[in-house]
Amino acid sequence: MKNSLSHDTSAWPFKAVLVANRGEIAVRVLRTVQALGLKGIVVFHAADRGTLAVQMADQAIEITGSTPVAAYLDAEQILKVARDSGAGAIHPGYGFLSENAGFARAVAAAGLVFIGPLPEQIELMGDKVRARNFVERAGFPVAPSAIEDDDPESFNDRARAVGTPLLIKPSAGGGGKGMRIVRDLALLDAEIERARSEGQRYFGDGRLYVERYIENPRHIEVQVLGDGYGSVVHVFERECSVQRRFQKIVEETPSPALTPELRARICETAAGIARSAAYRNAGTVEFIYAQTGEFFFLEMNTRLQVEHPVTEAITGKDLVLEQLRVAAGEALGYTQADLRTSGHAIELRIYAEDAARGYTPTTGPLLRLRAPEGEGLRWDSGVVEGGEVTAAFDPMIAKLIVHGTDRSEALARADHALRDTVLLGCKTNIGFLRRLIAHPAFVAGDVHTGFLDANPQIAAEPELAPSTLQALLAAASLSTKTMRDGADAIPDLHAALGAWRN
Amino acid sequence: MHHAFEFADNQHGVELSRTPAGYRLHLDETHTVDVRVLAEIDGRLRLNIDGRKIDAIIATRGDEVFIHLDGEAYQLRYRHPLERLAAQHQGGAADGIRAPMPGSVITVAVAAGDSVSRGQTLLTMESMKMETTLVAPRDGVVAAVNFAAGQSFDRDALLLSLESITA
Repeated sequence: MKNSLSHDTSAWPFKAVLVANRGEIAVRVLRTVQALGLKGIVVFHAADRGTLAVQMADQAIEITGSTPVAAYLDAEQILKVARDSGAGAIHPGYGFLSENAGFARAVAAAGLVFIGPLPEQIELMGDKVRARNFVERAGFPVAPSAIEDDDPESFNDRARAVGTPLLIKPSAGGGGKGMRIVRDLALLDAEIERARSEGQRYFGDGRLYVERYIENPRHIEVQVLGDGYGSVVHVFERECSVQRRFQKIVEETPSPALTPELRARICETAAGIARSAAYRNAGTVEFIYAQTGEFFFLEMNTRLQVEHPVTEAITGKDLVLEQLRVAAGEALGYTQADLRTSGHAIELRIYAEDAARGYTPTTGPLLRLRAPEGEGLRWDSGVVEGGEVTAAFDPMIAKLIVHGTDRSEALARADHALRDTVLLGCKTNIGFLRRLIAHPAFVAGDVHTGFLDANPQIAAEPELAPSTLQALLAAASLSTKTMRDGADAIPDLHAALGAWRN
Repeated sequence: MHHAFEFADNQHGVELSRTPAGYRLHLDETHTVDVRVLAEIDGRLRLNIDGRKIDAIIATRGDEVFIHLDGEAYQLRYRHPLERLAAQHQGGAADGIRAPMPGSVITVAVAAGDSVSRGQTLLTMESMKMETTLVAPRDGVVAAVNFAAGQSFDRDALLLSLESITA
């Protein structure tokens, strides 16, 4: 990423931007804010004191909460901090307050600029049911479904009528929370109750909806940008089919699944949906893509997405800059025809987790951290060596983004970069990612959202070669003081007689 | 073998001694390999192992040894001789119910002193946005409950223990 951006911000209504987020995305936003010559302010909970965002911000302000997460969700406190610090705008990042319409309203009411869509657009797209109805009415494709709110009494019957396999989701949900697949209608009622209790717990909202579960679908999403003056463009698609526990782990663009015709169709559909909502901000329209080439609207995220860097890599667009520009009142100033792509980009999410143990999160100190370096590489991370991965937040450590002239060059660069990444102190998924991108099906681009479940051997710890075990035991023995000192203290006869070498 | 490392749920007994040129690693009674330290700077270790050159990056914390070797990261744990001796005499491995992953407790279904039967729900926990139920691995009596609802824990934390059968 460039260190300075030549964009003229003198007419913008803000000179300082507060980032109401943490981790790698706070760092990402601060980079663009600072490169524009604006002041970058960040809030942080004490648990994040040693992180990169706090180090690089022009001003870092501590916030408190009953838990670290609660601090970042405390709209009132963050707004007060923003006002006191003289920030003119708030960038919410992703997660936390990014899709909270009440917060967006409160920011505007306080006379600050919310770097995001209009509150009504958050409300429209934040409620899956309303969003789906809106998209359907606008003439775009949605999957067969049943919505509890339409008539709660008949919900279970209507859910049954959708047919198996089906997917139950909380209406207010996101990120895979509370979603359940039902393949046997005898289990439907029990699963509905379970999903309802999870929805209640996570979102304070037990309303559900059910939709046809498409077997082995791909997850393809389209980046859009709108300026609120009626101008909307798409910034091409991202393929995010490799998921575990309904969460993305590898994203790439272009999608290996799409022909030029299908690419144009899905991208134009996304732009059409955003245009129907007169959308302002960067946003992502997600589709479920069937092996048949059919695709259906899934949801629209009205914020910057974790995987936005792959889009930046192939288009050269700085999406945070675009968000700031339109929030500042600028028009997009370019048309669809002005957007071009070059090459292929892949993002690999590096998580503190144990793939072989069901992708369960791990925790631990980052005793050693060395990011890979090289052509076509980007490393987005919020942690530094000496930091710690705790259970307080999402276990994502970093995003590695590789860009190549084509997919095979990008894959080769990814493997090299993963090899060169040193992360010691807590178990990560780096070895797993290398096995994944070497898998013939992945290399062929032949994946779907159930790919990892269908291929558990990728997650399994591979058999260790005896020579590797030897090397590990040698290195470990020499690094263990008790053993090293013991050996040095009692040299064998030959060692005692021979020339000592240390 | 006096020393040992735990790695991937296995114990590997090992000894280290000096040779004129460096060290000798004893993997078992008959199997040894000669190891020379070619360079050792700031956690980087270059070794010659029976003629094979390897580069490793090492970090340690307490008894844990983290090794980056050939593009992969490994974690080994040094086991003290006394600790290993004690483990051999313990038995009843199912006395402690440990956290399979980091998370927090949603509900605790039992209290110390309760009799439980195998398969009975002991507590429900939340991790990775999902609910997991931990059940009794055998019949027994709850000896201690170490976490209350709402408390969070790391992986392998001892959540709950049953009274030892032999006790």
